[in-house]
Amino acid sequence: MISRGWRMAAVATLVVVLVVFLTPYIWIFLTSFKTRLDALADVPVWAFTPTFEHYPKIFIDKGYLPLVWNSLFVAISSTLLSLTVGTPAAYVFARYDFPGKEDLFFFFLTTRMAPPISIVVPMFLLFSVLGLTDKPIAVILAHTTFNVSLVVWMMRGFFADIPREIDEAAMMDGHTRGGTFLKVLLPLAAPGMAATAVLCFILSWNEFLYAFILVAFEGRTLTVGIPGLVTPHGTLWGQVAAVAVVATLPILLFTFLVQKHLVRGMTFGAVKG
Amino acid sequence: MGAVLDRGTAPLLLVPSVILLLVILVGPFFYMVWTGFTDLHYALPGRDGSFVGFDNFRRLMQEDQIFWKSFLLTMKFVFWVVTIEFILGFALAMLLFHYIRQHRFILTLLLVPMMLAPVAVGLIWKLLLQGDLGMVTYYMRLIGIIDLRTAVMSNASLVMPAIMMIDVWQWTPFVTLVMLAGLLSLPKEPFEAAVMDGAGPVQVFRDVTLPLLRPIIALVMLLRGIDAFKEFDKVFILTGGGPGIATEMLSIYTFRINFKNWDLGYGAVSAFMVYLVVLIMCSIFYKAVYWNEGRAKPPKAGKS
Amino acid sequence: MKNGSLLGKARQSALLATALGVAALGSTDALAWSLEEAAAPYKGTTIRTVGEALPPLEAMDKLKSQFEERTGIKVVIEMYEHSEAVNKVMLDLNSKRGRYDFILQPHRELGRFVKSGHLESLEKYLNDTKLRDPSFKPEEQLYQGLWKEISWYEGKIYGFPFTALTMYMWYRDDLLNDPKEKSGFKAKYGYDLKPATNWKEYTDIAQWFTRPEKGFYGTAIQGKRHEALWYEWLNFLYSFGGDMLDTKSGSECGPVIVNSPEAVASLEYYKSLMAYSPADTLNYTWDDVMALMQQGKVYELIMWNDATYAVAEDRDASTVAGKMGFDLVPQGKGGKVGQVEGWTYLVPAYSKNKEAAYLFIQWMMEKSQQLNQHLNGGASARPDVYAHPDVQKISYSKASMDTNAVAKPKPTIPESPQITDILVRELSSYLSDAKGAQEALDTAAVEMSKLLGSCAPLKYPVQ
Repeated sequence: MISRGWRMAAVATLVVVLVVFLTPYIWIFLTSFKTRLDALADVPVWAFTPTFEHYPKIFIDKGYLPLVWNSLFVAISSTLLSLTVGTPAAYVFARYDFPGKEDLFFFFLTTRMAPPISIVVPMFLLFSVLGLTDKPIAVILAHTTFNVSLVVWMMRGFFADIPREIDEAAMMDGHTRGGTFLKVLLPLAAPGMAATAVLCFILSWNEFLYAFILVAFEGRTLTVGIPGLVTPHGTLWGQVAAVAVVATLPILLFTFLVQKHLVRGMTFGAVKG
Repeated sequence: MGAVLDRGTAPLLLVPSVILLLVILVGPFFYMVWTGFTDLHYALPGRDGSFVGFDNFRRLMQEDQIFWKSFLLTMKFVFWVVTIEFILGFALAMLLFHYIRQHRFILTLLLVPMMLAPVAVGLIWKLLLQGDLGMVTYYMRLIGIIDLRTAVMSNASLVMPAIMMIDVWQWTPFVTLVMLAGLLSLPKEPFEAAVMDGAGPVQVFRDVTLPLLRPIIALVMLLRGIDAFKEFDKVFILTGGGPGIATEMLSIYTFRINFKNWDLGYGAVSAFMVYLVVLIMCSIFYKAVYWNEGRAKPPKAGKS
Repeated sequence: MKNGSLLGKARQSALLATALGVAALGSTDALAWSLEEAAAPYKGTTIRTVGEALPPLEAMDKLKSQFEERTGIKVVIEMYEHSEAVNKVMLDLNSKRGRYDFILQPHRELGRFVKSGHLESLEKYLNDTKLRDPSFKPEEQLYQGLWKEISWYEGKIYGFPFTALTMYMWYRDDLLNDPKEKSGFKAKYGYDLKPATNWKEYTDIAQWFTRPEKGFYGTAIQGKRHEALWYEWLNFLYSFGGDMLDTKSGSECGPVIVNSPEAVASLEYYKSLMAYSPADTLNYTWDDVMALMQQGKVYELIMWNDATYAVAEDRDASTVAGKMGFDLVPQGKGGKVGQVEGWTYLVPAYSKNKEAAYLFIQWMMEKSQQLNQHLNGGASARPDVYAHPDVQKISYSKASMDTNAVAKPKPTIPESPQITDILVRELSSYLSDAKGAQEALDTAAVEMSKLLGSCAPLKYPVQ
């Protein structure tokens, strides 16, 4: 049915599309290995002898390395916290009916969508009253506000995908309700949970505004380090690009890991991939 | 369905997550709403948060032209990016669906822009569009889109389209990803029936594909709409709202009121308006989810 | 540090220093006071500060270990980009949590801090014989006008200048003296190529050197919607004989004159320089134009003294080190002008270690630290630092001092940061062709007058 000509045209279009979507990133990647001369050349340089000086320069000499650890720490902690409180909630949503269930479920959605710009000032004040500002926990909690609802929405779908007969069979085998959840359902939902975890990690790692306002100097994450990078090091493009690469490359690798569940994650479980 | 598990106590498992959100998010939210009724201002002495009723709302509604300009700008931004991303993304999904067998690999490559941190995207494009040495600037000059005396980010009439294009660059793959998932989930029968009835490709698309995908289209557009409405990070890095107020979107303007002028009472009202719009879109999204589950999904199946 | 055998010598040298009129180590009282002793009660505490990530603060970061060794007080410095440094302080002060023991802030913030009760007046510490180093005499050792303008508010002392900033003209001295440029310029404009003293010459020279095809420009304006734009335009405004408010000092409120004919003329002139600036000039701040100069891509700028070092002296960073010339901002109706801007040491009322913070500030104000900081890119407020031979050798010292002498104060009233924000927005709107010059300044004037209230009527009514 599909002619050869059409297929060729389709492939050609795709190649163009891929070039458009990938070139900017590839360019930045290349820039992070360019000498100053190559980076600031009047005509874009595509082939060059790479230099590896920018990475140690910016991450070690200029002290950006701790920002990587901070980002990691915040993202991992927020992910664990969100999974811990979110997974049981998702399970309840998937298996029980109770009054106000739909409203509560909607509530979780709104917390995910809440614009940080609206919340960040009062949140800062709350944390300063609680004495939590300047501690990583402030950002971790802030990121948990959107991650926990992501967990609830995604995991609810994964639990719902498990037939109820499995619960019943497990109970017949003498598991308690808690045991059924922990020993039978959780392992079954584990792949989904892993995907959820990775998405939580990515969202936290990429988040900017909460971190920008809430973190202390010592706790700055990579995204928070980026605006400061643009100005004083304005012409050190190699270093700027090196930060951009480090801030993004791990995420890309992660993405490929969870690609199967990405659709579900990015649409709050509304569309299944 | 029998009550396999105890209805009475199980909802207690919701408590930790709900408490967490109530304390960290809902509490601050209501505090913000309260602040909107006060004159709280961090920078001016004597403005210590006394109750002023609806003064801030009145000011926003009647006096603040910049707010409404940025509201309009944000709406334009949302309209254009959602439209363009949808058309491009859907077209791309159709292309992958119909013509390419190894679409999974290609999809993986396409995902790159959307997974990057938005601030990193801002940073990347700042370098690319830099007016003297930016790579994209260079090629734009080479093909003659702009001349030597023009730089995209410094030009009030080019800067907003540029930011839209950057958003399109970042988020079109998302639309493709979701639409492709939608296409793959469609049942085969209606298509076969339509072809049997002698429908051409255009008719099939119009009469079968589109109606079946309608809920997913609604979902994807709403999700993009909500995110686009909240857009902050990229613009913050790229222009900070300038030149003039050419890129002062609602979230940037709200940031300015709060973190430049420290007019928190007024800033709360502005923030609330952002929240309100998001909330409305959010509830439509919620309805769309059910619409999607009710129609596009077979009754009950355990596939991922 | 000093023991008995040195006393006599110290006394002698102190006398000598006084006789020479140079502020020095101290008088006889100094012997009774020592930093170690004064700091003993605070040993083991940590004091924390915050400021803008620029060479003067980096210099302080290197110096602080000497203080730490002598006192056992640890000093932690947080360095941020300009507006982030202001944000962090605003949040800290308003939450009253007292994270910072002293802060470094631009002086236009002073009014709102003082009026909101966020700052501790330092008079208490200056009068405390246990803390005050008798050899520290700010009333003699600092530029008085400058100190009062940037660190005093309504007659009270809140701090000491961290950097005495000002702006002046930067130009490429090597190109100016190039015979080919000289003859070419003269042939075209009919007068000799020399550093511009008025705005017509400034334009002519900018036009002459603008060679876009070679990637070289006559000038570059800091046109991004950012504080930098406002600061830069002030030089033009003052030079054209205008001002923002009709006042004598920064802490006064007065009639709004920002839409005067002089102001409009200055703004129109300012924009005319876009023709000789790179295409991206509306995206530039001080960092970008500094980088442009470092790379040898621009002939002349109106720029900051604290960025001069990185361009004129720092051979690692700059391709034009040793090739730069500096002079006062060109003159218009307003005559010789400059602007006072300073970052100042301040102590928040909520600090838990105010005494230790005071000791550190006092120590930083000593001549040797000031000299070190100045030579590494700072801008000291001590005249004796400028008298030092090493400083005299620096290519920009003269321009810096000349400008300081004619510098005009700017508002430090609580509303001043908001005035800045309004003007930045309107200036940027004009530069990007969204508004006319008169319209932009009228809008700003009306908003400023409304913000300030009855003390600030419009002097030039808006139709």
